[in-house]
Amino acid sequence: MRAVLLSLPFVLLAACGGPETSQANNAQANMSNAASPPATATASVTADAFSPVTGDEAKSVMHERHEGMEAIGKANKAIKRGLDATPADLATVRASAAKIADLSQKAAGWFHAGTGPDAGKTGAKPEIWQNTSDVAAKLAAFQKAAAAFNSAAAGNDVDATKTSFGQLGQACKACHDKYRAEMKH
Amino acid sequence: MPRQVPGGDEALSSAGEQRVWDLPTRIFHWLLAALILFSWWSVKNHHTDWHIWSGIAILTALIFRLLWGFFGSSTARFANFVRGPRAVRDDLRGDWTGIGHTPLGALSVLAMLIAVAIQVGLGLVSQDEDGIYAGPLSHLISSDASDTTRDIHELWFNVILLLIVLHLAAIAYYRLRGRHLTKPMITGKAALDPQAEAMRPGKWWAALICLAAAFAVSRWVVAGAPYV
Repeated sequence: MRAVLLSLPFVLLAACGGPETSQANNAQANMSNAASPPATATASVTADAFSPVTGDEAKSVMHERHEGMEAIGKANKAIKRGLDATPADLATVRASAAKIADLSQKAAGWFHAGTGPDAGKTGAKPEIWQNTSDVAAKLAAFQKAAAAFNSAAAGNDVDATKTSFGQLGQACKACHDKYRAEMKH
Repeated sequence: MPRQVPGGDEALSSAGEQRVWDLPTRIFHWLLAALILFSWWSVKNHHTDWHIWSGIAILTALIFRLLWGFFGSSTARFANFVRGPRAVRDDLRGDWTGIGHTPLGALSVLAMLIAVAIQVGLGLVSQDEDGIYAGPLSHLISSDASDTTRDIHELWFNVILLLIVLHLAAIAYYRLRGRHLTKPMITGKAALDPQAEAMRPGKWWAALICLAAAFAVSRWVVAGAPYV
């Protein structure tokens, strides 16, 4: 009896390994996902993306960036809820995936020089314009991940869609962790 | 968070050390401190996934402490340390004797437990700004509501910070008056009034059952609280 009681919390602890198990599943889904058709949209961000803007043009870029990022966030939240629901709400997921894929293309025009904190209230760090080649690569990776997710969501494989969504989230995070300041709005 | 102030200031040096805090209570105390620190650090450093797991670990610890407050040793039981306003008044006058939490200290223990429980509850239903991470119970409320609870979660941390500052200030205050509160929370023992009623320890198997129950409820929460 004593041994059973003693081992109880440890059994429960081991059973709590839920996240690791699901990560392993994700890794598997990931491998099978690699065989799925490649992203349709081409991802490219050129040096033009960082050409300088001033005045009203700068304000308008900053406004579009803010609204666009907020729309992407909103779409992401809808997707997460749609994928976590039982059964998954694939109609919502698909509509939001298309929206993000579209906005990801527009995002290449959101980081012109002169739209940093000097120009107004923004979470965009000045480091963006000191590392434009890195930011361009990350933007391109985001576009690629958004297109791949849009393709995955078009299918009916919920697990593969979840994996692809996870990769899209990592693409968002890669840029935000480095180039976004904490901002209250 | 729990503090210990024995009565009879003069009796201290001569008296031997007595047990005051049992092992589960001490582990809970230091684990909570470490997890709060880790929760703060992880979210400030973009490790939102670790932050969520840390919150779930705090949930498990809180459930354990709640149960231990009913089935634990005498100094851990709410019924023994949560007292009315008269006891708090006596405490402020310096008339209180006993072992374990003082009546005033007990209020601070309760405030900390409730504040942390609110913080965990807010976190469980929140989602991050980008829609990448969400607490396991966020699906129970709307997306807009999950954004609002995240904002409150962020503000509520200031309440916890305030309680931590008060807690550390109280320890410093007692230290200046020659009373060490930190060491008993490590060793479990303190020089106490020999006249005071000794701590009645809890049962080891009761601790295991409380722990198992805490894990079971946490697992259910992690699973998104099915069947509600």
